[in-house]
This record gives sequence, structure tokens and C-alpha cells, in this order.
Amino acid sequence: MQTVLNLLEAEPIRLFVSFGAVLFLVLNLAAILTMAERKASAYIHLRYGPNRVGPRGLLQPAADVVKLFTKENVMPGRSDMWVFLGAPIAMFIPAALVWMVIPFSPDAVVANLNVGILFFVAITSIGALGVVMAGYGSRSTFSLLGALRGAAQIISYEVPLILSLLGVIMLTGSLSLVEVVNAQGSTFWTWYFLPQLPMFLTFYIAGLAEVKRVPFDLPEGESEIVGGFMVEYSGMTWALIQAAEFASMGLMSAINVTLFLGGWQPPLPFLDFGPFNWVWFGLKTALIMFTFQWIRWSLPRLRMDQLMDLGWKVLVPMTLVWLFVTAGAMLVIPGN
Amino acid sequence: MAVTLPEGNLEDRLKGYLDGFGNRHGLLESEIVRGSVRIVVAPGDVQAVLATAKEALGIVHLSFITVVDRVGSFEITYELMDLRGGRVTLKTTIEGEEPVIGTATGIYPTANWHEREAYDMFGVAFAGHPDLRRLYMWQDHFDHHPLLKSFEITTRRTFEGLR
Amino acid sequence: MLSEERRVEQQSALTEPAAARLAAPDVRDEFGLETIDMSMGPQHPAMHGLLRLILELDGETVVRCDPVMGYLHRCQEKIAENRMYPAVIPLTDRLDYFANMHNEHGYVLAVEDLLDVEVPPRAEYIRVLMSELMRLASHIPSIGFLMLELGAFTPILYAFRERERIQTIFEAVTGARMMFHYIRIGGVKADLPPDIPQKIWDYIEGLESRFQNDFVDLIQGNEIFISRTRGVGKMTQEKAVEMGLTGPPLRCTGVDFDLRRDYPYSIYPELEFDVITDTAGDVEASYRIRIAECLQSIRLIKQCLEKMPEGAVMGDLGRRLRPKEGDGFGRVESPRGEFAVHIVSDGSDTPYRVHYRDPSFCNMQLLQEVVPGHYLPDIMPIMGLIDPVSGGWDK
Repeated sequence: MQTVLNLLEAEPIRLFVSFGAVLFLVLNLAAILTMAERKASAYIHLRYGPNRVGPRGLLQPAADVVKLFTKENVMPGRSDMWVFLGAPIAMFIPAALVWMVIPFSPDAVVANLNVGILFFVAITSIGALGVVMAGYGSRSTFSLLGALRGAAQIISYEVPLILSLLGVIMLTGSLSLVEVVNAQGSTFWTWYFLPQLPMFLTFYIAGLAEVKRVPFDLPEGESEIVGGFMVEYSGMTWALIQAAEFASMGLMSAINVTLFLGGWQPPLPFLDFGPFNWVWFGLKTALIMFTFQWIRWSLPRLRMDQLMDLGWKVLVPMTLVWLFVTAGAMLVIPGN
Repeated sequence: MAVTLPEGNLEDRLKGYLDGFGNRHGLLESEIVRGSVRIVVAPGDVQAVLATAKEALGIVHLSFITVVDRVGSFEITYELMDLRGGRVTLKTTIEGEEPVIGTATGIYPTANWHEREAYDMFGVAFAGHPDLRRLYMWQDHFDHHPLLKSFEITTRRTFEGLR
Repeated sequence: MLSEERRVEQQSALTEPAAARLAAPDVRDEFGLETIDMSMGPQHPAMHGLLRLILELDGETVVRCDPVMGYLHRCQEKIAENRMYPAVIPLTDRLDYFANMHNEHGYVLAVEDLLDVEVPPRAEYIRVLMSELMRLASHIPSIGFLMLELGAFTPILYAFRERERIQTIFEAVTGARMMFHYIRIGGVKADLPPDIPQKIWDYIEGLESRFQNDFVDLIQGNEIFISRTRGVGKMTQEKAVEMGLTGPPLRCTGVDFDLRRDYPYSIYPELEFDVITDTAGDVEASYRIRIAECLQSIRLIKQCLEKMPEGAVMGDLGRRLRPKEGDGFGRVESPRGEFAVHIVSDGSDTPYRVHYRDPSFCNMQLLQEVVPGHYLPDIMPIMGLIDPVSGGWDK
């Protein structure tokens, strides 16, 4: 037993095994989130939601996966095949890769990079590439419009997203996500969402835009460009895009929690569960994901020009102002 | 700028419309039936009468245009409303198999689609219409006008060229 | 029928702009950028049925919008020419399938205009009661559709819950949920079942208490809703009247016109209600108009239930229906505007010509005029402003 554990501890093997575990988790997360989304929307709509497959409909995602696997993959006649088929992969890999640097609990992190935040920022921007590939490869006006909107939106919201991270980096003095969580302490009033409230809100909103959720789902915009960049996808390629969307939504919640809500840290010291502190991480992430879904089913969609106005005229100035406030406060208040 | 709607007693207004049309144009028939003015004019006068209705009498709303196929001639009805109870039914009859009449779109822009529909269904051409395409039926390969009395629904020939 | 050369001559004259565009497809602006042509529909979730819009886009801005219809055309007018007068009523149900009662009422009024039949007062009250319930069942989903097109999915389900309950009432009264065939020439098909007035009353009271919560508080103050609808589809009064708009799209510009008051039919002169107008003339104003009209409909329904007289529900028609020769007009205020029917009778038992003036058809002319210059996503709220129904514009 001990030898097996020791073998797992050995570096290349540990990395592969833990990355496999995280990949498994991400794929399952996508399935669970589809289910949660449908149930939460049903609750908001005063409906039942899926309730036929399995107890209370819990096996619905499994049935969906079976259905999607057996579906034919239809490709538009004059599409650019390799770009078209590569797009879902180009979207899924970044979403799954960033999970490697998320600390689930003090020890449970696949790769404790000392540039974790930078890694997150760098890898999520690649997601825009997948959107553009999907839109270009489909050879359809609807897809093209969706892809252009997606590229514009993701690149614009990158700016407030990164700026809102700077406050946290300044307070922590480190780019490592584990360090960020450690610095926040095990009481909820010392977490960064209070001193960095405008940054937290900016990060939350920009994160919503980054993962293309309502009210920023313009690249999909199902009532105007009927699915946007993914309008031509079907079967498993479509499922992969969906999985990437949900994985990146979970990722954005996890990053939110890690940076601003204390990661695995319990809200009060006596609630410290020791090695089981990942429960706190999970609970907080689930809460943020639920708020994403809540917003999804309550709000209409913005228009492209309004989206840009919000990003450049509200979020960017707000983060810049708060950056100076933070810097000033760090100079004035000693020992912080 | 606001649209001014007519005021005052409905019967006086209807009488005013009747006189207004009668004084300006040669009407073939004119009467007031069941709360509406009914006038019949020659097809060449239609545009002038409509212009009178819109500009001089202030009847702002063209409700619809009905074409009736009287086998050999077409009867066209313009139903005008002043939005306050007064109705004017303007009728005209055009003879012939290839009927042409002046368009009302210059006076009432809403006539655009009504005239396209009439063209589609009866083949009545409206001279001066800005965009006289078929409205409902196929643009190409369909040479029929379905609401003509001579059009029979069951002929196979109808859909030739479309299949 | 037109002769071949006439037709060719006409068509070549007509398609001149199109031909010019085809001859020079490489139209570029000063930056060397082309516009994209986009065909939206007929299978598109926001097209209220089967409408195709040929759009020319400059980036996201619409340069040209050309509606193409006919995908649901059944030539109702031709079918009606081959049927006896009473047998046309079920066909009118299929016209604007969100306002069936109004279609029936309009057609029946046109036939009664030719017939001089006396309709019993109870039948008139039942007609108005059903029409106003139908208006509720049309306005509430249209609010939901507007929100659906803006991207909010929830209001449509709340709206359809209300429509469902109204349909249950219709089912109890008429035996059908959508295609009623209830309003007949000379009266209505059957009297109300004995317990229905109480049920309608209870439902209306419940709706009044829910209405504020579900359809006003959820939507009205929402920042995104306001930014998406305020100033979108804006038009002046002259433009609205010129384009022949009626109903909420006309009233939202401030033209005070409602057929129920200005061309009174049935028992509307005996009932009290307000004609709602707004001055903004944009999508948000049309939403406010629809909300306020729902409340007026509730008021009308209550008055109908209170004042409903006893008596027969069917007038004496005689054995065969042979209206006198001439023109019969019937027009009602349907939820979308003026629904008018023009019947030409030749004295036989089938109409010689039936013409429907459907409000969706006329209001849709707005698209060509108003959409160019707006952004692509603004087409959907403008469709919500018009709220056309496929069966209506395609006859």
C-alpha cells in the first residue's frame, strides 16, 4: 500500500494521475451543471424540470450523453473541416487546463505554479480562439456574426478582468493561487471580497462575460443569431462545446472563490475541518455557480454597443480607481 | 408634430366629405349608406380623389384595398377612415383582361403591400408602384393569379415548373 | 391573367434595383468593406412564425430589411369563396391564431351587416366577454415574447401559464382550446355553462393580484430591459399613420384611436374603458400599452359579468342564409389592431369575395421603414412591438 502511495507521489506519475482526476472531475462537472441548470431554471419557472430518467431525473445527464454520442455529426457542406472539428477541442482544452492550478485544499493542487494567476489569465484568453475557429469554420453568416461578437467580447472583457486581479496581487504580493488563499485567513471578514469589493464585482461581471453567460451571451444570442458560433454543430462536437462552456463557468466560479472568497478557508475558525476543507471550496463554488444560473434565468441580454459601454466606460475606470485606492491604503496603513 | 384627428358631429362630417368629393370631382355615384360615404368614380380619377381625401378632407387612414373579379372587369374598393367614426368607401371599375390603375402609394404609403397583394392575387397592375413584386406566391415560374374566378384549385397545371 | 410579354416587361421593370445590385455586387464603402447579405428565417425562433427577412448588414447595422412572406399562405380568401357563409367561420379561426375570437367576431359582423339579423343582448355580452378574455390571452404572451426575444426566458413561461388558464375557460365555454367556432352568425353557439361566470370572476381576481408581480415588477424597472427597448423602433405619429398602423403600435406613438370607441360595435358603447396611449413611440411604450390594456380588459370583463342580461343567445336567422347583394363590412379591434372583413355578396349562399384586412399584415410594413439603421439585435424588440402572427399576415 505504502509503496503504491509512494509511487503516486513520484513526480511525473503524480502529475498525470492528478490531471486525470481533474479531467474526470471537469467532465463530470459539465454533466452535473447541465442537470443543475435545468433544475434551477425549472425551479425559477415553476416547472418540474427533467424527472423521468432515474430517481428525480438524476440520470438525465447520462441519458443525454448517450444520446449525443450516438448522434450523427453533421457538417455543413462547404465548411472548413479541420477548423470546424478543431474548434470544440480548442475551446475545451483551455477550460480543462486551468483547473490544474486551482487549489482545492492546501495540498490538493495539481501544479502549484508560482505564476498561477498569470497562467489562468493566459490560458483563458485562448478560449477566444476556439470561438473564432467555430465561427469561421462553419461558413455561415450567423456563425460568423457570433464569432466576431465572441472575439470582441472576450478580448474586451479581458482588460477589466486582469485589472481587477491586480488588487489581489498587490495585497498578497504573490502570483501563486495557494499563496492568495493562505493570505486571506480563516475568517470571512478577512477575505478579499470586502476590501476589494469593487474589484470583486468587476471580476464577477467580467467573468460572466468571459464565459458567455446571460446577460452577456451575445455570441450565442439564441433569439437573434440562434446559437451564434455553435449553430452548425451537432452531436458530440456540440456536446464538447457545451462541456467547455460549463467547465469554464465552473472554472470562473472556482477562480472567484479562490481569489476573493477565501478558497478552501472556512468562514469561521471553529469550522475548520482540517483535510476536509475542500468541502468549503466546493460549497462556495456551488454558491457562485448558482448565482450564475440565477442571473441566467432572470435577465435579458445586452446589445453589443451596450456591452462595450459597460466594459470600457464602467468596469475599466472602476478598477483603475480602486487600484489607486488600494495602493494608497497600502502605503498609509502599515503592515497590511 | 402631431396628427390632428377630426372633431365634431359624425353626420355633419360625412356630409362634408360627400360635398367635398362632389365639388371637386365628377362622381359616378355618391350616397351615404349606414354611416359611411360611398362614392364610385372612374378609374382615372382614383388618384385625384384619394389625394383630395388625404389632403383636403383629412381622412388619414387607408384601411384596405379590395379587388373583386367581376369576370371581365375588376371592381376595386378603397376603404378610408378618418379615425373618428367616418368611413369612405371609394369604388371604381376597370375593364379588360390586363387591368392597370394608378397607384395609391404616393398618397397613402400603407397601400404598398395592399397593392402588392392585389397584384399577386389578381394581376392588377398599379402604375407607378415603387416595388410591385409578388407578395405571397412564388416570384418565378408561377404565372397564375389565384383569386381570379378563372383559376381552379385542382388543376395540376398550376404547379408546373415548381416541382 | 397577364399576357406573357406584359408580365416579363413588368417584372424586368420591377426588379431593376435588384438587377442593379446584381450587376455590381462588389459594393464597397470608403474603407473597402462590403456589406453582408443575411437571410433570417423562415425557420428562426424570433420570427413569430414563418417570416423571412432578407437583411443587408453593415457590421451589425442593418442597411436594408426586406420581409418575404407567404410561407403559411393558405389562400383563405379563395377557400371562403367556395363555402357557405356559416362554414367560413371555422376558417377565420385559423387566420390570427392568437386572436381567434376577434376574427370570428369580425367576420360575423360583416355577414350581419348584410343580413339585418337582430342579435340578442346576452349573445353580444358573451361575445365581448370572450373577446376581452382573448385579448388577455394574446397580450400577456406577447409581453412574454418580447422578453423572450430580448433573451429572458422566464416571463414567457409565466405568460403561458396565464394563457393556459384562459384556454381552460375557453375549453369549458366553447369546447375547444384554440379553434373555437363559437361566435356564430346571429349570436353565439351556446350559452355559458352555469358555473363559468363565477370561475371567470375568480380567475380575473387572481390575475389582478398576480399581474403586478409577474409582469410589471419583474420587467418594468430592469435596467437591461430599458436600455434594450427605450428609443428602439422609434417612430413619429405621421409615420405611424402613414404606414397604416393600428392597435398598440399606433397608440404607442400617441394617436388616440381605438375601434372599440371610435367605430363602436357590439355593446362597447355601454361599457366603460379607457383608450391607453403613450407618447414615446418605441418598444418600451408598446410594452406599457399592452400592460395597461390588460388591466382595461380585466375591467371590461368584470363589467360584462356584472351587466350580463338573461335571455336567448341566438337570433332568428331563417332556414337558408342568403344575404342581400352588396358589400358587408365588419371591423373589430383585435389585440394587434384593426381587423376588418369585407364581404361582397352576390345574393347566393356563398360569398362572392371575402377580403380580410389583418392587422399583423399592415403593421409589418413597419419593418421595411423602421429597421434600417438599427442594430441586428434590435429587430427582435421591433418584432415584439408589432407582435405579428404568422397566420394573420399570410391569410
